[in-house]
Amino acid sequence: MRWRTRLGLIGQRIFMFLAILGPGLITSSADNDAPGIATYSMAGSVFGFRFLWVILWITFGEVVASEMAARMGTVTGKGFSDLVREEYGVRETLLIMLGLMLANFGTTAAQFAGIAAASELLGVSRYIAVPIAAAAVWFLVLRGSYRYVEKVLLALASYAICYIASAILVKPDWGDIARNFIIPTFSRDRQYLIALLATVGTTITPWGCAYMQATVADKGVRKEEYGYTRLDVSVGAVIGNIVSAFIVIATAATLYKAGIAVDSAEEAARALAPLAGPWAELLFAIGLLGASLLAASVLPLSTTYAVCEAFGWERGINRSHREAPIFYNLYTAQIVLSTILVLIPGLPLFPLMWLSQVANSVLLPFVLLLMLKLANNPRIMGDWRNGRISNTLATILAILVSAATVTMFFFGT
Amino acid sequence: MAMWLSRILDRPVWDAQGERIGRCVDVLVAETEKALPPLRALAVEREKRETLLVSAADVAWLTPSIILKVTKPIPYIPKGDELYLRRQVLDRQIVDTEGRRVVRVNDLQIIRPNGHYCLAAVDVGSLGLARRLGAERIVERVATRLGRPVPGVVIPWRDVAPVESGAPIRLRISRDRLSHLHPADIANIVSELDYPAGQALLSSLDTSVVADAMQEIEPALQASVLENLGPDRAADVVEEMDPDEAADLLATLEPNDREEILDRMEEEDAQEVQKLLAHPPDTAGGIMTTEYTTIHRGLTAGQALEALRHSEEAREDETMYYVYVIDDEGHLEGVITLRDLVMADPETPIDRLISARPISVKLTTPQEEVARLVAKYDLLAVPVVDEENVLHGIVTVDDAIDAIIPTAWKKRLPRFF
Repeated sequence: MRWRTRLGLIGQRIFMFLAILGPGLITSSADNDAPGIATYSMAGSVFGFRFLWVILWITFGEVVASEMAARMGTVTGKGFSDLVREEYGVRETLLIMLGLMLANFGTTAAQFAGIAAASELLGVSRYIAVPIAAAAVWFLVLRGSYRYVEKVLLALASYAICYIASAILVKPDWGDIARNFIIPTFSRDRQYLIALLATVGTTITPWGCAYMQATVADKGVRKEEYGYTRLDVSVGAVIGNIVSAFIVIATAATLYKAGIAVDSAEEAARALAPLAGPWAELLFAIGLLGASLLAASVLPLSTTYAVCEAFGWERGINRSHREAPIFYNLYTAQIVLSTILVLIPGLPLFPLMWLSQVANSVLLPFVLLLMLKLANNPRIMGDWRNGRISNTLATILAILVSAATVTMFFFGT
Repeated sequence: MAMWLSRILDRPVWDAQGERIGRCVDVLVAETEKALPPLRALAVEREKRETLLVSAADVAWLTPSIILKVTKPIPYIPKGDELYLRRQVLDRQIVDTEGRRVVRVNDLQIIRPNGHYCLAAVDVGSLGLARRLGAERIVERVATRLGRPVPGVVIPWRDVAPVESGAPIRLRISRDRLSHLHPADIANIVSELDYPAGQALLSSLDTSVVADAMQEIEPALQASVLENLGPDRAADVVEEMDPDEAADLLATLEPNDREEILDRMEEEDAQEVQKLLAHPPDTAGGIMTTEYTTIHRGLTAGQALEALRHSEEAREDETMYYVYVIDDEGHLEGVITLRDLVMADPETPIDRLISARPISVKLTTPQEEVARLVAKYDLLAVPVVDEENVLHGIVTVDDAIDAIIPTAWKKRLPRFF
C-alpha cells in the first residue's frame, strides 16, 4: 500500500473518531462537577497522595458502567428511562424517576452553589453571577441547536486544563505520586472510608449513566460505529479521572503538606493562594466555574428529557411552550429553584445537598442492577448482550456500590 | 361499556366451573388494520410459568373477573398476524396521526360492541398513568376539588400508528396513514422517535415520501438516516430529492459513501448532482438547483405555453416562477415571468415580453451576494451563468435566504421577537 493512501486511511479513522467523540468526554467531564471537586480537594488535603490509588481503580468502574450505558444507547436507540418504562411498567418507572429527579435537583443546586463560590473567588458577587449563569444556561440549552450546545460544552470541558496547570505549578514530587498511584494504602479511619464512598458517589452517578445512554442514543450511533463510541467512553473516563487525580495532587502537595484540611473547593482555593501563589487560586476558581457551568447545563436538561420521555409528555427543544408545557416548566423550575436556593441567605442548602447525595447513593445500586438486567436481555440487546467480563465487573461494581451505600447509612456522617 | 387493559392484566382467569386456571399476562388482537381489531386470545400463565393461549371465543367475561365459557380450553394456535398488546403496544411509543406527534401508550381501551371484544382506543393521558398506579379515583377527585378536571386523552385506534421496529405487521398499516401527513410533520415525528423506530418508519414509507421528508429533516440527522437506508434505497431517495438539496446532503457524507450512492443513481440524476457538488457550498453554484425551464427565441406566447406543456424540464420544475429564454448554445438571453406569458395575447412574440439583460449571478458569486440581489430586486429566483453567460441553474428565493438565515433559526425567529 502506498504511503499516501495509508495516511489517508489513518486520517479518515481519526476524523471518524473526532466526529463521534463527544458524549463520553462531556459526561466524564461533567462528572467532575462542583461536589466532585469539593470531594477531591478534601481528600487531597486530608489524606495527601495516599488517596491516588482509589482514582486508578474507580476509572475501571466508570468505564464498565459507562460502556454498558453507551452500548445500550447504541443498540436500542433508547434512553434508560425508556427502557425501564417499556420493560418494567409505570410503577417502577415512577419510583426511578422520582429518585432521579430528587437526586438531580440537589446536584443541580450544588452546581449553582459552585458557580456562586467560584464567582466570589473571582471577585464577582453571587447576586450578579448566579442569575446571569442561570439565564445563560437556560437560553443556551433551550434556544441553541445541539451541535452548538455540544461545542460550548466541549469548550467548557477545557476547565480541566486549569487543574492540571495548578497541579504542575505547585511542583509536586512526581515519584511519590507514581508510587501512590500503584500501591494501595488502606486505612480504617472513618473519614477515609467516607471520602472513599463520596469519591465513588461523585464519579459513578445514576444521572451520568442515564445521560450517557441518552446522548449516544440521540446521536444515532450505528452498531458498526460502536467501536469508536467505546473508545470515546473509555478515553473520556480516563481523561476525567486524570483531572480528578490532578486536583488531588494539587491539594495534596500544598495543603496536606502544610497540614491544612479543607472540606470545600473554595476553601481549598483560598488556602492555595499563600502556599502556591495567587495563580493557583485563580486557576482553581476558573476550573470550578467551568466545571459547575458544564454540569449545570447538562443536568436539568437530561433530567427533563428522561422524565418526559418516560411518561410520554411532549418534549424537545423544537416544541413551543404551549405544545410542551411540562417539558418547559420542569426544565425552568429546576434552574429557577436552584438559583433561589443558592441566593436566599439562610436557606438550608446543606441538608438539601445531603439529601440529594443520599438519593444518589440509594438510587445507584438499583440503576446498576436494572442496567445489568437490561444489558443481559437477549430480546433487547440481541448479539450485543453483556459478555462475561462485563457482567463480572459490573456485578462487582454493583456489590461494592451497594455495600458502600449500606455502610454509609450505618456508619456515615 | 369500556374496559381497560390495565384492569385485565395480571388478574386471575377462572373456568366455567369456577376453577382458577391461571393469570392473564397478555392480550392478543388481530386484523390490526381495522378501526376495531378483534381480540383473538388471552395469554394465561399457569403454574410453573407455562403459558397457555385461550381463544377469545372461549371467554365469557373480561370484567369484573375473567371467566371462561368452558372448563378445558383448547389452546389457541397463533397465526402470526397477532399483536401482543402488553409486549408490543403498552408503554411503547406510538404516532398520533391526528395530533401529528409521538406519544406513549399508558393504557388500552377494550369494548364489546356486539358480543365480541375489540380493541378500541389508546389512552395517552395522565389519567391513564394514574390508573396504572391504581390512583385514578384519587387523582380525579383531587382534580375536581381543585376545579381543574384532568382531561382524558384517548385516541381512537384508527388514528394511531405503532412504529415499534419489533412489530413489522403494524408498520405495513401505519404506512398509509403516515404517508398522508405533511413531509415536515413526518420529519418532526422521525426526529422525536427513538432512533431505530424512526429508521423503521422511514424504511416503511414510499421513496418519494421519504425524499420529501428528508428535505425537512435537520442536516445532522439527514446523513445518518441515509446511511441507515442502505446504498440502494439511499440512491432512490436521493434521486427523488431536489438536486440542490441532494447535493448538499451528499456533500456531508464520507467520500466512499458518496461514491457508492452516486454509482447506484441513474446516470442523468447522478451527473446533475455531481455538477452541483463541484461548486463550493457557499457560492451560487453550490446552492443553485438545476431544475428550471427554458424556451427558445422566436416563438409567440401561445406557442411558448404549448411548448412548456410538452417539455420534460418544465414538468420537473416544481416552482417555475420564471421561464428562461436561451439560444442554441445555452446562452441566457432573457427571462419572462410565467404570469406575463399566461396573461399575454397568444399571438404576441415573446421577444416583446422578455426583459433582456436580466439580473443574473455567476457560479462563483458568494451566497450572501446572491441573497442581497434577490432581496434588492424582489426576485423569486435568480439565474446562475458561467463566464460565457451560459445558463447553469437558478437559485430560488428560499435557498438564497437559507444562505443567510439557517433553517433552524428561520423557524425560531418569531419566538425571539
